Amino acid sequence: MNAVKTRKVLVVEDSRLIHKMYEVMLRPCMLIAAHDGREGLARLGENPDVDVIILDINMPHMTGIEFLEQVKAKPEFASIPVVIVSTEGKEEDVARGLRAGAAAYLKKPFQREDLLKIIGRLVPAQAAP
Amino acid sequence: MADATRENRFTPDDHIDPLVTLMRARQLIHEAQAAIEEVSKSVVQQRTASAELPERELRLAKAEIEREELAQRLAEVEHQVGRLMTLYVATYQLHATLDPADVQSTIAEITINLLGAEQFALILRGEDSNVLRIRLKEGHINAAWAEGETYSGGDPLIDASLLDGILRFGPAEGSPVLVTVPLRVQDVTVGALVITKLFEHKEKLEEEDRELLDLLGAHAASALFASRVYARAARKLRTLEGLIKLVRKG
Repeated sequence: MNAVKTRKVLVVEDSRLIHKMYEVMLRPCMLIAAHDGREGLARLGENPDVDVIILDINMPHMTGIEFLEQVKAKPEFASIPVVIVSTEGKEEDVARGLRAGAAAYLKKPFQREDLLKIIGRLVPAQAAP
Repeated sequence: MADATRENRFTPDDHIDPLVTLMRARQLIHEAQAAIEEVSKSVVQQRTASAELPERELRLAKAEIEREELAQRLAEVEHQVGRLMTLYVATYQLHATLDPADVQSTIAEITINLLGAEQFALILRGEDSNVLRIRLKEGHINAAWAEGETYSGGDPLIDASLLDGILRFGPAEGSPVLVTVPLRVQDVTVGALVITKLFEHKEKLEEEDRELLDLLGAHAASALFASRVYARAARKLRTLEGLIKLVRKG
């Protein structure tokens, strides 16, 4: 039986609490942590093989939307699915995020099963090479 | 049986002989008997199968119902696991630091990200006085008490919770409070977390949120208390070290 490939997830989020939450909830994914958009871009440059990006909107230095626009503008990263997880839950916020290229939008507070469902849909489990 | 008698099989080239005829008749009878046996076996099998069919259908339907029940239970268990993870992370993070500012920031993160509060305030009794200070305020709280830096009473829900240490839900007349969570250390109420508005997409506080509110009531205050004690001790230590250095120099 083939082992399932571990998903590599880049988390761009300024809250330490939510980083810890992902660490517990997304076990056994391999998580790469960034605390704002700028750091997110740097981590992405070092790890261009991430399977999915989980992104907050309100962050210092560079907002989630700015980060997303930069990611989508780079052909090497444009195909990586991005899930926005934010407290910004108005219709226009969701529309703005999806327009900028997010594959899914989840409002905080969120349920673990909803996040897992979205990641499972965007990054189906693959057999390890 | 047909194979066993193949060498005795009658062929048109055989001479008409009573013995041959007899053998042929015997062979035909055996073949007929074998055919009858096979047919009757097949009839019995078919009858058994058709008799078992309703029972099998019943078992299949039962298995399907059990599968659905299991799937539902699995979803419930998954949901419970998620809730427990949330509580674990909140507790872990509250006690992960001994810096009072970090503990306050964690309380705010829990209130915003895990409870979905848009407007709230953290009221805490001063370290050396009995004055209740508003240590943290998020969003514009539409109440007179929220304008200043201290809380001197005036909201019926907050006042009651500070007095008896019981968590209270709004609405109440003359109060914009949705919920007030008394923060307690060793049975002493040292402050309250007051939520006045949730995010638009969070319609109301659910039963599950109650667990998180209770957790905050119990752990937020003790984490703050521990961090304050540590900070005070660290301050004293630094002062003493400074004094010792001065004495040594002198």
